[in-house]
Amino acid sequence: MRDAVAGGALTEVTFYILLSLFEPRHGYAVMQFIEAETAGRLTLGAGTLYGALKALEERGWIERHGNEHGRKKEFVITDAGRAAAQSELRRLRALTLTAEKIMGGAI
Amino acid sequence: MKKTVKRYFAGAMNSQQKWLNKMSDRGWRLTGTTIMGYEFEDCEIGKYEYTVEYVGNKSKEGAESYAKFLEDCGYRVFFKNMNLNYNVGKTVYKPWAEKGGKLATNDTTLNKELLIVEKVRDGRPFELHTTAEDRLAYMKTLVRPWIWFAVIWFVPAILTRSWTFLIPSAPAVIGVAVYLVKIAKIKREMRIKE
Repeated sequence: MRDAVAGGALTEVTFYILLSLFEPRHGYAVMQFIEAETAGRLTLGAGTLYGALKALEERGWIERHGNEHGRKKEFVITDAGRAAAQSELRRLRALTLTAEKIMGGAI
Repeated sequence: MKKTVKRYFAGAMNSQQKWLNKMSDRGWRLTGTTIMGYEFEDCEIGKYEYTVEYVGNKSKEGAESYAKFLEDCGYRVFFKNMNLNYNVGKTVYKPWAEKGGKLATNDTTLNKELLIVEKVRDGRPFELHTTAEDRLAYMKTLVRPWIWFAVIWFVPAILTRSWTFLIPSAPAVIGVAVYLVKIAKIKREMRIKE
């Protein structure tokens, strides 16, 4: 989460986790979401995910969802998390705009 | 068929991991651990894969919640001791541990310093830490105990002005050096990529 301090940029993993939690999900479902959305380019280790979820929860960007007695712990994004994701989307749009201006639209 | 194998790896986490994976390649699946050994039952050859993680820096709640999370992700986990402590009611001071884990007793992570994690082999590397930032954080938890072991011997050495006290510190110094090289490598990568 160190990068969030630098230029306001989120790490790719952080952003994907936030996106995955627009619907309540447990840890394993977050891993599956990221793998599916990136077609396997980005796989997240369980230890890394654990640390990231903990850090995001401490920051108040995600929170526990529902009661968790005997069930897998589920998380969901908070309003503060949505705001962070929103500003990241704006940042990425500005970045791709600059890139397209210089490199041309062709990929 | 079941069997118990006597084997003790102390802090050699990589050797332990390699050995468990070799056992799986021979058709043995881990079912439990004892202080000096491992319990197995026969299984399909190479069906399972193992990784070993250090959790001795965590508090009791920290270690248990982490283990529970890994189980929720579909892995099987076993706690394993790193050192040999047969005493009951013993307390160990771990200055390098996180809050709540500094005084390790039988109720916390004493004799449960390692976590053996099992997954069904799926052809992809079994890595719990996948981002540079997180691998760096994990490396730092690994190097901290070694720094303490390396430095602690300087106290009697300085008090008695006898350099022989530094001999036991040598392996720890080497351990620290190995991790510092790894940490430097990750930091170099991080300058360009996340």
